[in-house]
Amino acid sequence: MAPVPDPNNVGGGAKRDEATTKVPSKDPKKKDDKKEEDLSEEDLELKQNLELYVERVQDPNPELQKAALESMRQEIRASTSSMTSVPKPLKFLRPHYGTLKEFHKNMVESDLKKLLADILSVLALTMSAEGERESLGYRLTGSGGDIGSWGHEYVRNLAGEIAEEYTMRQSEEASVDDLMDLVKQIVAFHMKHNAETEAVDLLMDVEDLDLLLQHVDRANFRRTCNYLTSSAKYLPGPDDMLVLDIAYMIYMKFEEHPNALQVALFLDNMQYVKQVFTSCTDLLKKKQFCYMISRHGITFELDPEMVADKDDRDILQDIVNNTKLSEGYLTLARDIEVMEAKTPEDIYKAHLLDGRASSGPSVDSARQNLAATFVNAFVNAGFGQDKLMTVPSDAASGSAGNWLFKNKEHGKTSAAASLGMILLWDVDAGLTQLDKYFHSTDNPVLAGALLGVGINNCGIKSDCDPALALLGEYIDNEDSSVRIGAIMGLGIAYAGSQNDQIRSSLSPILNDATAPLDVIAFAALSLGMIYVGSCNEEVAQSIIFALMDRSEAQLGDALTRFLPLGLGLLYLGKQESVEATAEVSKTFNEKIRKYCDMTLLSCAYAGTGNVLKVQDLLAQCGEHLEKGDIHQGPAVLGLAMVAMSEELGLDMAIRSLERVLQYGEQNIRRAVPLALGLLCISNPKVNVMDTLSRLSHDTDSEVAMAAIISLGLIGAGTNNARIAGMLRNLSSYYYKDASLLFCVRIAQGFVHMGKGLLTLSPFHSERLLLSPTALAGIVTLLHACLDMKSIILGKYHYVLYFLVLAMQPRMMLTVDENLKPISVPVRVGQAVDVVGQAGRPKTITGFQTHSTPVLLAAGERAELATDKYIPLSPILEGFIILKENPDYREE
Amino acid sequence: MLTVSVKWQKKVFEGIEIDVSLPPYVFKAQLYDLTGVPPERQKIMVKGGLLKDDADWSSIGVKDGQKLMMMGTADEIVKAPEKAIVFAEDLPEEEQATNLGYSAGLVNLGNTCYMNSTVQCLKSVPELKSALSNYSLAGRSNDVDQTSHMLTVATRELFGDLDRSVNAVSPTQFWMVLRKKFPQFSQLQNGMHMQQDAEECWTQLLYTLSQSLKAPTSSEDSDAVKALFGVNLRSRVHCQESGEESSETESVYSLKCHISHEVNHLHEGLKHGLKGELEKTSPALGRTAVYLKESLIDSLPRYLTVQFVRFFWKRETNQKAKILRKVDYPLELDIFDLCSEDLRKKLEAPRQKLRDEEGKKLGLQPKSSSKDSDVKMTDAEAPSNESGESSTAAQQEGGSSEKGTLHMTGIYDLVSVLTHKGRSADSGHYVAWVKQESGKWIQYDDSYPSIQREEDITKLSGGGDWHMAYIIMYKARFVSM
Repeated sequence: MAPVPDPNNVGGGAKRDEATTKVPSKDPKKKDDKKEEDLSEEDLELKQNLELYVERVQDPNPELQKAALESMRQEIRASTSSMTSVPKPLKFLRPHYGTLKEFHKNMVESDLKKLLADILSVLALTMSAEGERESLGYRLTGSGGDIGSWGHEYVRNLAGEIAEEYTMRQSEEASVDDLMDLVKQIVAFHMKHNAETEAVDLLMDVEDLDLLLQHVDRANFRRTCNYLTSSAKYLPGPDDMLVLDIAYMIYMKFEEHPNALQVALFLDNMQYVKQVFTSCTDLLKKKQFCYMISRHGITFELDPEMVADKDDRDILQDIVNNTKLSEGYLTLARDIEVMEAKTPEDIYKAHLLDGRASSGPSVDSARQNLAATFVNAFVNAGFGQDKLMTVPSDAASGSAGNWLFKNKEHGKTSAAASLGMILLWDVDAGLTQLDKYFHSTDNPVLAGALLGVGINNCGIKSDCDPALALLGEYIDNEDSSVRIGAIMGLGIAYAGSQNDQIRSSLSPILNDATAPLDVIAFAALSLGMIYVGSCNEEVAQSIIFALMDRSEAQLGDALTRFLPLGLGLLYLGKQESVEATAEVSKTFNEKIRKYCDMTLLSCAYAGTGNVLKVQDLLAQCGEHLEKGDIHQGPAVLGLAMVAMSEELGLDMAIRSLERVLQYGEQNIRRAVPLALGLLCISNPKVNVMDTLSRLSHDTDSEVAMAAIISLGLIGAGTNNARIAGMLRNLSSYYYKDASLLFCVRIAQGFVHMGKGLLTLSPFHSERLLLSPTALAGIVTLLHACLDMKSIILGKYHYVLYFLVLAMQPRMMLTVDENLKPISVPVRVGQAVDVVGQAGRPKTITGFQTHSTPVLLAAGERAELATDKYIPLSPILEGFIILKENPDYREE
Repeated sequence: MLTVSVKWQKKVFEGIEIDVSLPPYVFKAQLYDLTGVPPERQKIMVKGGLLKDDADWSSIGVKDGQKLMMMGTADEIVKAPEKAIVFAEDLPEEEQATNLGYSAGLVNLGNTCYMNSTVQCLKSVPELKSALSNYSLAGRSNDVDQTSHMLTVATRELFGDLDRSVNAVSPTQFWMVLRKKFPQFSQLQNGMHMQQDAEECWTQLLYTLSQSLKAPTSSEDSDAVKALFGVNLRSRVHCQESGEESSETESVYSLKCHISHEVNHLHEGLKHGLKGELEKTSPALGRTAVYLKESLIDSLPRYLTVQFVRFFWKRETNQKAKILRKVDYPLELDIFDLCSEDLRKKLEAPRQKLRDEEGKKLGLQPKSSSKDSDVKMTDAEAPSNESGESSTAAQQEGGSSEKGTLHMTGIYDLVSVLTHKGRSADSGHYVAWVKQESGKWIQYDDSYPSIQREEDITKLSGGGDWHMAYIIMYKARFVSM
């Protein structure tokens, strides 16, 4: 080491300083110098030194060799830290790279050879030819040692070469042990130096994410997991599951239970969910978990292993069963002061329109009254009071009874059922109010009461199973409208529950040759909902047999589409699991075969963002078919279902749909507005709003109807003034066309759903989780909208109530340790994507400070604006339990 | 013995004892005491099933301390209203039409919008409709030719069809008869019927109707159309050169609104239209001289028609060119200063009365504090109102305005506008804008009626390429005395 001339080092240092700090002022002048003398004095000296070292390396004297190598290393290390340009030593050594390589090859095995290999490995960083991976090669033959001593760029380059080498060796089935050693070093280095993303990338390349577990620590596990979960969306299966598995394990390792639970729910892995409960000891936290599970809308039984104490377990189970949802929602409504019931006229705002104010028609129109029934139901959903159906009973003999009878025949079904919607989630009050209709001798009214019980119980579970007890009796009623009411009610109330008792009573209907088609269709749909995403073989079998039994004429019926849909719902989001059934569906009658195929494919890959499936579906839409083929409708919807999960894919899908709209056939054009509605549900993006507004004046009335309904869907629960204005104008534009006007009214009801407190978005927890039941409800409605005239405008308008499955308060309600609501200041703003960013970046922008409870719009995020409390979940949505901060001190 | 708790509505009844040896009906009777819900109305839910009255407790498997849920109310059961509700969808087509509040449109048979808009405007005159409905072949005067008769009948039928139908009516029959009567409307251009001047159609149709609707007695007064639309003008013709002066009277069906550079408002145009120069042989001078003719209105019609003279024959292009100048017209027109002295005197009292009534409407509510004269006024009004109503009824039967106690005031309200859009009378598009009895304005654009705002009606005054008023019709405002 001694022979290293100190001045050189100093010189090198000085030169570096000059290069880094004085560049701005001296740059032009220096360039001139270079042109004249080629090199500055210092550089020249460095160059001469390096040349000397190169010569000495080749000296037979090992001492001299060693000294030269050491000095060379010193030079390189001293300079590699600045990466604005190719470091000087590397530049000067460039002409000698070949010489050194040659010499290295002929050297005998020794420490010196390793030393030289180290240096060559670094030199290869800039000099080796593309794809040669020389840097890696020399590194492997070198002396090892601290990998970081050569700087970040070297490590990064090495990581890249390892990935390449790894794939090559995998294909040759060669051993990768030596590489893995290196990987370990690199990962350790990256994780220590805030480069978690690179560490994860490398490990994904070499398929050994488990390594990550050893290297994460308190400081970096959040960023790591954040990167893992968000990259999962872009990975092909089964890698995505693997990545999430790791994320789950990391969260568990650091006892970040709420996050771990989220991942577990995403994976739909009940074992993991259970594990979260068993490994957490804090009862309060468990309560928070229960709130999260209840929002996801799955049926979940707590067992003594998860919560030992019986009383505690009862409290927790109550939370999971959503029994307090109604209370929380009403707290929000009272706080925002929207308890006052609204009438349909308050929504239509006809007085803002030209000329036709205050000229109510003298005669009741059944169609208009039916629309008013729906608007009233959606707008006052969950508030427990309205001005049509729940008018106090002393006036009832006059008005409450009357409104019901202002609806015609099957309209009465929807009217009676609307009571269930108005009293949504409040089972006790709901049953009390619906009771009077149970004694009606009018079949449509009874059917409505049954459906109303189902709607009322949507998402709420109870030990007594009131819905099953009440509806079970009517499944085999002789009147088919009553049967449908009961069947649909069960489907809504028990969606996702996989209740065996219901299956055993509904399955026989499917294969009953005497049952009418509509009963069979609704039975298939309800089974699909109850077993949503379960891949249940037996249910699948029954629906398949039912499909095979249909006659040619029945297959052409609009309602037959619910059979494949019911089948599809069984595999919602389950990807490959659908393949066996899809194979069977190829044997169906050709009238339904393709339709079934598209429905199964789109359901199975719903919410996965799978690009290949999107392409498959797009290809289907590209074909120009003979008249009468209807399978392109579900293909277009499928496009939206698959692509809806993440922002990038969603935007791409919107653009693809625009294209499809221009070149597609009529049956495709009719589905496009619906697909747009699904993609932006409860998220009124301006570009989509404009497209739909344009389509709402389309010459094809079915396109216009679909566009109008979709305008309602994208604005659902937002009270969006622009959409409300558009719809108002449409209502005056279409005032003579009863069908279109009906659609406009329904859309108006959607926009003001829950007076703006509800959302239909099936995504929650910062758009990570997709509630399967919610999606099932929306998809069912959209499929029904594919043939608007025969279903919604016909006598099956009550399918609109399937949306109740997706209706959730878009609130953030803070509760204290006793689950009583408390008001704290929070900041609400637009969410910022912080994945892959270093440090602790701000997660929201353009925020405003409010007091809880607050409403969260699509793409918004909340954070506590006080240190007094600690939230028990990092995702501030829905019910959030706050714990007092022990370290908090009043200022 | 089992002890259970029962949840009913929001209440929970704790510690209810069940005697398992007795049927569940007994248990229900227990609950009846607690809740007041009769047993047959009770629904008790036990683990996904309902409790049957005659079930066996042991097979149900109710455990000690279990929570049961009961549904049921003692409320009255909802009954359907005795009188079934009638829905618009169930009504026959005609009744649906009346519910819309306005009548159907007319199908365009190929450049027939001039005719459609004319028909729609004239249809808005109920008196004309009733006169037509009284028309019969037997009663017609002998000097009416066959085609006029046919046209009158066709008009009556068309008006009837329009009132009955919801969907647009096709005026085929009317059109054929119209062309038969007035062959000029059958002009062809490139194999298509040409666009025609709506004013011509209007005038010709009205003339035909007035001829055929004349009462058989054939006296001037019984001319129903004339009573409705006719304006008597008294003109003073005088020659400045010779100082000769003469006066003459004439009867016209419409006033002309001449449009020149200084005309910005209907009123100015009307004044302009009532003054004219004409050349005729002067007996005093023995040659042709320029005479100045100044006309004043001598009697007022129930419906005052004003034609905007927007078209003039342009020799260079050989077509009727259009004046696009904006001429405002009011929703309420006062033509008092266009009237002759005699008429003005007649109008003064009714006008005073009208002003008083309006003043009363606007303010001066407290009757107790008002002067004696005011009280007298209100006293006087009550009986007159009654008589007013009866006279309205009388007039609907075709009586003239001079009868009864209703008096003209010289004030008119706009009821229909026929507009033209385009640059020449024989091209472009004609549309009718008609005020309904309900006060709503309807635009009849051939087969599409649509509701319009009143403030948009006054915007049809021209000055651009938008629809502009060509013929407008005002209805007289009466005051009962």
